[in-house]
Amino acid sequence: MNSENILEVKHLTKHFKAAKKQVVHAVDDVTFSIARGKTLGLVGESGCGKSTCARTVIRMYDVTDGQIFLDGTEITRMSQKELKPFRKKMQMIFQDPYASLNARMTVRDIIAEPLLAHRIVKNKAEANDLVYSMLERVGLTKEHAGRYAHEFSGGQRQRVGIARALILKPELVICDEPISALDVSIQAQVINLLKDYQDEQGVSYLFIAHDLSMVRYVSDDVGVMYLGQLVEISEADEIYKNPLHPYTKGLLGSIPIANPKLARLKVKSSIEGDIPSPIQPPSGCRFHTRCPYAKPECAEKTPKLTDAGNGHRVACHLY
Amino acid sequence: MENKWELLESSNEEREKIWKKNRTFAGDVWFRFRHKPTAIAGLILIVILLAFAFIGPYFTDYSYSNQNLDVVNVPPRMKVYVTKDGSGYLYITQSLKVLWVNKDGTLGEQLPRLREEADSSMIIFDCNGEEVGLYYGITPYLIADPETRVIYDTDTVWNKSYILGTDSLGRDILTRLMYGTRVSLLVAFVAVAVNLVIGIVFGGISGYVGGIADTIMMRIVDIISTIPLTLYVILIMVLMGAGIQSIIVALGTTYWVDMARVVRGQVLSLKNQEFVMAAKTIGSSTKTILLEHLIPNAMGSILVTVTMLIPSAIFMEAFLSYLGIGLQPPLASLGTMCNDATENLRTCPYQLFIPAAMICLIMFGFNFVGDGLRDALDPKLKK
Repeated sequence: MNSENILEVKHLTKHFKAAKKQVVHAVDDVTFSIARGKTLGLVGESGCGKSTCARTVIRMYDVTDGQIFLDGTEITRMSQKELKPFRKKMQMIFQDPYASLNARMTVRDIIAEPLLAHRIVKNKAEANDLVYSMLERVGLTKEHAGRYAHEFSGGQRQRVGIARALILKPELVICDEPISALDVSIQAQVINLLKDYQDEQGVSYLFIAHDLSMVRYVSDDVGVMYLGQLVEISEADEIYKNPLHPYTKGLLGSIPIANPKLARLKVKSSIEGDIPSPIQPPSGCRFHTRCPYAKPECAEKTPKLTDAGNGHRVACHLY
Repeated sequence: MENKWELLESSNEEREKIWKKNRTFAGDVWFRFRHKPTAIAGLILIVILLAFAFIGPYFTDYSYSNQNLDVVNVPPRMKVYVTKDGSGYLYITQSLKVLWVNKDGTLGEQLPRLREEADSSMIIFDCNGEEVGLYYGITPYLIADPETRVIYDTDTVWNKSYILGTDSLGRDILTRLMYGTRVSLLVAFVAVAVNLVIGIVFGGISGYVGGIADTIMMRIVDIISTIPLTLYVILIMVLMGAGIQSIIVALGTTYWVDMARVVRGQVLSLKNQEFVMAAKTIGSSTKTILLEHLIPNAMGSILVTVTMLIPSAIFMEAFLSYLGIGLQPPLASLGTMCNDATENLRTCPYQLFIPAAMICLIMFGFNFVGDGLRDALDPKLKK
């Protein structure tokens, strides 16, 4: 157990029951850790299990298998009641700023809710000062406190969502695609807000997104997920400069390049086909059905996440 | 100001400041509510009805059960005959008697009957020493001078003694209407209370907890709702005796099932929304999630259901009383009044129309208020 890590996830597995006794393998055997004050970016295409992974880590879903350690304590099998003190250390920012705020509550009540839930303040009046300073911290003013969520723009709402997550001063914030529902100009504001707060308070982020350039900007480490499994994890710059897994290469190849001269030189390496069903994932390496370098071995043996040098770990038979 | 194009100072704080006074949530609701004319009309109507039902009886000279067989089935507007000297009116009752009506429209005594002249189809009455004849040879009956056979002048006057007339036992309809409205409002209140308390809590827990608890709770609802209410009331009556208490117990034990279903459905669809998940990750208690997140967001459907259920509860009482298994005579409810009226609907339609109109007014009032409340409780419609 490394005390430097705020979160350690070992062999995390989450299966959902589907109709006719089928099982959706949403997350399968995922292992990663996040150091204090660092950010782990999690990328992958839609439906690869990023969000499920985040929601399982925060114990919104029950864990099928594996272990979750928060600040050195195992929280995998805790009941919601036992979990409550740990909720203070771990908060979540949601993807949709429209759906994640209660339309019937004022911003003041929304941000004060965590304080009241954890009995940090006794009543709403006492929460006011904390709420106002938090509002100013996220770039809103105390005049906003009396308004309802629908009176704000998407970016402002997401700030309210962030204020709600940060007011308990958590040590780990799980950001489940916090920027994908926002305008590009607003995305930068929100990201900078999160980064500034990290520099100030030393908070750790589990940052989920599918905007690869944004992930590179915020993350210290980046993990790539495919069909419920972590296929590659490394330091951010390393993974972008030197992607090893064919899937990562394909993903990075899909980033548009702004400079047309460079764009012409770029090798087109997009991934063909659709993501297979997580109900019956392919045997062996799950990517072998779409992999341009697939060998017969890939369909039989499941590759293990192995170190390919300087902490760059990849699950592929090529390495 | 010399330079009109000089930039004005403005701080970020001032830019976002709302100069209007900040209203509380309740103040906000009241603001939206009172800016809806129909809602205010409904509220005023309900207040008037409450005053009518609970204060009204202190101002009437009659009781709901006092019978006066002299003045049976007297309508609110009477067709009368003017006496010869013009000092009053004469009104023919349905039992072929003649009633003295004062000049101001109040009812007087019955005229003493002198004799019947069968050959001329006339009954002779004594009117202040003068003989008047009631001719019953043709309908409508007439009052004429027995000697000259001249028909008296006719007129119509408002009944001032019984403003809404009397029923088939000579009871004042206005007074009975006050007591009937009281019963209906009481039933409405019980239905609302039961719905809001049992219905919301039961449905909310069932929907939120889910799984086996939900299945069991919903099967209980199914069982309750499949037993016909009439059977239920009869069974309760066996235990508790007929009367308003049986109806209230029957409504209280069964009337929340629709609300429970509606709330469960709403909670099921709301509980997977992100703001509820957010509340869970925050660590809010189940009580907070139910009372502050789920139920306020389901308020629209809840209020619509309540406003639909109030009329149906009032109708249910009226219906049970109409069937004769609700309130027992001489107690009055709008249902029993309608029931009594059907016996002589052809001759005295007002006896049915008056309580029926009252039922309509009550429904109007509650529907308008419910509609207004639903809009007022939705902050998205804030102005």
